[in-house]
Amino acid sequence: MSDDAVTQNPSVGGLGDVGLVAHQVRYEQLAFWVNRVGAVFTVGFSVVFLVLLGASAGNSRISYLGNIKLVQYYVPAFVAYGVMAACFTTLAINLVVRRETGLLKRLRLSPLPTWVLLMSIFVSTMIVALVQVLLLLLIGRLGYGVRLPQAVAAFAVVLLVGIVSFVAMGIAMSTVIPNQETAGPVTSIVFFVLLFLSGLWFPLKANSGLAKFSNYFPVRHFLLAVSAPFKFQPGVSPWAWHDLFVVAIWGAVAAVIALRRFSWAPRRT
Amino acid sequence: MTAVSVEGLSKSYGPIHAVDNVSFAVERGEVFALLGPNGAGKTTSIEILEGFVGRDSGNVHVLGVDPGHRHQQRWLRTKIGVVLQELAVEPFFTVRQVLERNAGFYPSPRPVDDVIELVGLAEKSDAHVKTLSGGQQRRLDVGLGIVGNPELLFLDEPTTGLDPAARRTTWDLIRGLASNGTTVVLSSHYMDEVEALAHRVAVLSRGRIVASGTPSSLGGRDRGNVTIRFTLPAGTAAGDLPVTPTVVRGNTVDIVTDGEIAVLAQIANWALAGDVELTGLSVFRVTLEDIYLGLTNHDDDEATGART
Repeated sequence: MSDDAVTQNPSVGGLGDVGLVAHQVRYEQLAFWVNRVGAVFTVGFSVVFLVLLGASAGNSRISYLGNIKLVQYYVPAFVAYGVMAACFTTLAINLVVRRETGLLKRLRLSPLPTWVLLMSIFVSTMIVALVQVLLLLLIGRLGYGVRLPQAVAAFAVVLLVGIVSFVAMGIAMSTVIPNQETAGPVTSIVFFVLLFLSGLWFPLKANSGLAKFSNYFPVRHFLLAVSAPFKFQPGVSPWAWHDLFVVAIWGAVAAVIALRRFSWAPRRT
Repeated sequence: MTAVSVEGLSKSYGPIHAVDNVSFAVERGEVFALLGPNGAGKTTSIEILEGFVGRDSGNVHVLGVDPGHRHQQRWLRTKIGVVLQELAVEPFFTVRQVLERNAGFYPSPRPVDDVIELVGLAEKSDAHVKTLSGGQQRRLDVGLGIVGNPELLFLDEPTTGLDPAARRTTWDLIRGLASNGTTVVLSSHYMDEVEALAHRVAVLSRGRIVASGTPSSLGGRDRGNVTIRFTLPAGTAAGDLPVTPTVVRGNTVDIVTDGEIAVLAQIANWALAGDVELTGLSVFRVTLEDIYLGLTNHDDDEATGART
């Protein structure tokens, strides 16, 4: 076999595959920020929501949540929103569009190893999520003088578990959506209904019927897990183990679905 | 040397035999075409050669390796180029960006500037993909197929949906690549495309090869099968002719023969002797289209899937 081609491209093969991830991440990032739809939907929405809701909340406080300021509640809430929007909604839509237009098939038929592609998508999604988190914390701190997360390690772990789990859910979601026309509406409806029921805009009382109902889904648990490291109530642990556990279970189940159902080829028949 | 060899290849999707005991070989440097209507098994065959889908049975070798073997696939994919039926290029990149990204996947890619030049997009190199015309996007698509400097290029219906001018430029591009030694396997349902590009062709119908050879020899087109047609002169009958007609429809006579010169001489002498006119006299060879339709016409009313 003529396996004697001179390797001119240092970023291919062996250890160079890590360089290939960097190469692909660069273009994943470029595609994300140049295609304004995804950027507006995730980063734009979360920033605008926080700014507007923060301004309209004024000095109102939440009596049933340790009497913290409403805007203080909104900072972790929209950090959670931002992570979920990037990892779940935007990723799911993006994957369906890429699958249905043949882009995934084309990548599959290139020498780019599958793990490099998936790792690049994951890293790129994580970058988008983290950029948002930083922006939101900055706006909260500088614009509204809210408190930053007190337990930094807990905050980092929550973000990592959230990003991994919601990426898995985003990929799983993309596998059940048949075509690109329905990708946007379906994921958005699922996402926003769950956000609403989980108290993103209107904080829920812990024992309300809505809270009990939304406890079956990962969104409210993630909201609570992101809030915990801010230590709003004295004496409460910054590690919301139970909430993190529920998010991780959802992530694990989604990962199984994603692995079983993922397809490179368009679904249209 | 053989670039592709296929022996007894079969693949079913549920009850549908997409590819049914197909065998063919492609030599290096050759342009080989799979011709057939939608649903004939062309795309499935190509996808098996690319290693994108598995096969049920048969032996397949592409550049000496089995495309179904996982650990061979990455090596194989550095040696082959693929152009899919659908235009699959990220709309938000510029021409140069998308080529530079894909060049990074290959161990020894063609220089991106060379590719841009080859596919004739020099003036569009910084334009966004979504602003390109269909023909330009197809050329970029071909550019992505060759950026890895492949020894073997797969083109799945490369000109479907293009306007006539864009088809011509795509043909020129494919001819240019072939003349530089790239082996090309293409699928098409256009007879003129196969005639213009391919050295050899296999006609697929319902997953089987129903004919193969050079485009000019297909269905025995190079030997005989010339039709001589004219209108029977007034006052004569078919039985008066010096040669037995093959078909008589009303006044129209068809004589199908491989000895057209001799038959023409007999008919002409007969007409001169009887002082009658042979109105509407024409002599023609069956077209590739006639043969193709004859080979595949039972597919016309078949419900066909998206896989072709």
